[in-house]
Amino acid sequence: MISLKSLKRWFWDPQFARKKQFLRSLEIFQDLNNGELGRMVQVLHARTYRPGEVIFVEGDIGRALFILESGKVELTRRASSGETRTLYTVKPGEWFGEMALLESLPRSATATATETSRLHLLYRTKLEALLQSEPRIGVTIMGHLARLLSTRLRRATDELAVSAAHG
Amino acid sequence: MAEPQRSTPSFLTVFIVVGIALYALFRVREALTPFILAAAFAYVVNPAIVYFEAKGLKRLHLILIGYLTSLLIGCGAYAGLKTIIIDESERLSANAPVYLAQIQKFVLVQQAQLTRKLPLPPKVAGHALDSVVGAGLERLQSVPSEILGLLPLLAHGLLVPFIGFFFLLDGPDGFDSLIQAMPSRYVEQAIHLMGEIDTALGNYLRGILIVATAIGVASFLGLLALGVDNAFMIAVLSGVSSFVPYLGVVLGIVVGGGMAWYQFGTISAFFKVCLLFFGIRLADEILLQPIIARHSVHLHPMVFLLALILGAEMFGFLGLVFAIPAACILKALVQVGWSWYESESGLENFAPGGESAPYT
Repeated sequence: MISLKSLKRWFWDPQFARKKQFLRSLEIFQDLNNGELGRMVQVLHARTYRPGEVIFVEGDIGRALFILESGKVELTRRASSGETRTLYTVKPGEWFGEMALLESLPRSATATATETSRLHLLYRTKLEALLQSEPRIGVTIMGHLARLLSTRLRRATDELAVSAAHG
Repeated sequence: MAEPQRSTPSFLTVFIVVGIALYALFRVREALTPFILAAAFAYVVNPAIVYFEAKGLKRLHLILIGYLTSLLIGCGAYAGLKTIIIDESERLSANAPVYLAQIQKFVLVQQAQLTRKLPLPPKVAGHALDSVVGAGLERLQSVPSEILGLLPLLAHGLLVPFIGFFFLLDGPDGFDSLIQAMPSRYVEQAIHLMGEIDTALGNYLRGILIVATAIGVASFLGLLALGVDNAFMIAVLSGVSSFVPYLGVVLGIVVGGGMAWYQFGTISAFFKVCLLFFGIRLADEILLQPIIARHSVHLHPMVFLLALILGAEMFGFLGLVFAIPAACILKALVQVGWSWYESESGLENFAPGGESAPYT
């Protein structure tokens, strides 16, 4: 006798469910329902980067947001003196390059994988297409991005005010 | 840490290699036909698979269920239309010589009338019309053999779904492998290019398929209501030829109208069929085109025509069908290439504009 559980196992894709579970754990997709997360799995492109592989270079035109599933990515910037300074080390579950989703501007830093890293790319035109075809998904992501940018801008304004006060 | 240095091939090398590859593909185009048709089939069917895949179902099982469902629907449709199809095929093969003779007779009568009306010496007018009409009639006599020449395409009927099955199964993995094999710095550009091509091509192909089906079904029902003989065959001809823009309606009017005129012996029967196909074209323009054309690439009519002529010249009927999709890909390539050139060469202005009030 075939049980409902074995039938479900036969039909359901465990790899797809694992990807969906990963997306669910990310703050940017937390408000999406099961079906919408499924759509996101299809929209994202996954790629594995070897240690030392450059993901993008400062000055390149940004066209995608990167979500780190596993591994480690270093964000660096070259100073006017030519010296390279590490800005941040991205950890699994974090994302970077989000400005590319809003504007096609040159990247402000270089991203390099420091160990074997699995990344998911959300391409700008895909997000724009989602905004048209499935506005709830697009608006949820845009809402998160707006909050993130607002927080960063507030922090930058505060820092500017503090440095101005200190002369 | 720097990426291991790789020697980058020059633009000229890439150009030559791509050129040679394209020429080689052109030389073996006959062998590639079922693969091209299968790729197009998989591409058109894929969104239905993707829709259910988003619910978490396994791709392989979805494809198998899809194939089984299509087979059942196909068998059901054949069982329902079997009598009509057999009836019409028999009647058409028996009457084809009569139809051709009638057309020839009609043309010759019209030619004689026109010779009398032309403001030219009768000998000159007769000679001029003879050469034009003669060429036309010669072409008409070759129509049945040309239609038979398309039959090998039907031989792909089984091969296309078979190859299409593997295209459908491996499609997303193939794309991921391509992304993985690409130098990391060009991944964003590659996805950009693929996205643009997908938008342009996907909407066009799916749109044309919807239009062809709608024209086929509407003309079958319309011709059946008008009591025109061979309604099914004319509807199939009209539907299939709709893959070439505008051709479906034109053929529907010419063949369907001619058939009605011959069958009922009155010009009003011809005009009724004309009205039917004009109605179908109008409904297509009002109801379908606004949905289909919303996101598809818009080609200039001249480019449209040039693509059709070049496609037909190089690849025959299949060239006609795939000329516009190929033009869509070419346009997407040019657009993406120009956008890269603009951004990389600094032609595009990146300065954020309109900044006035401070952040509050």
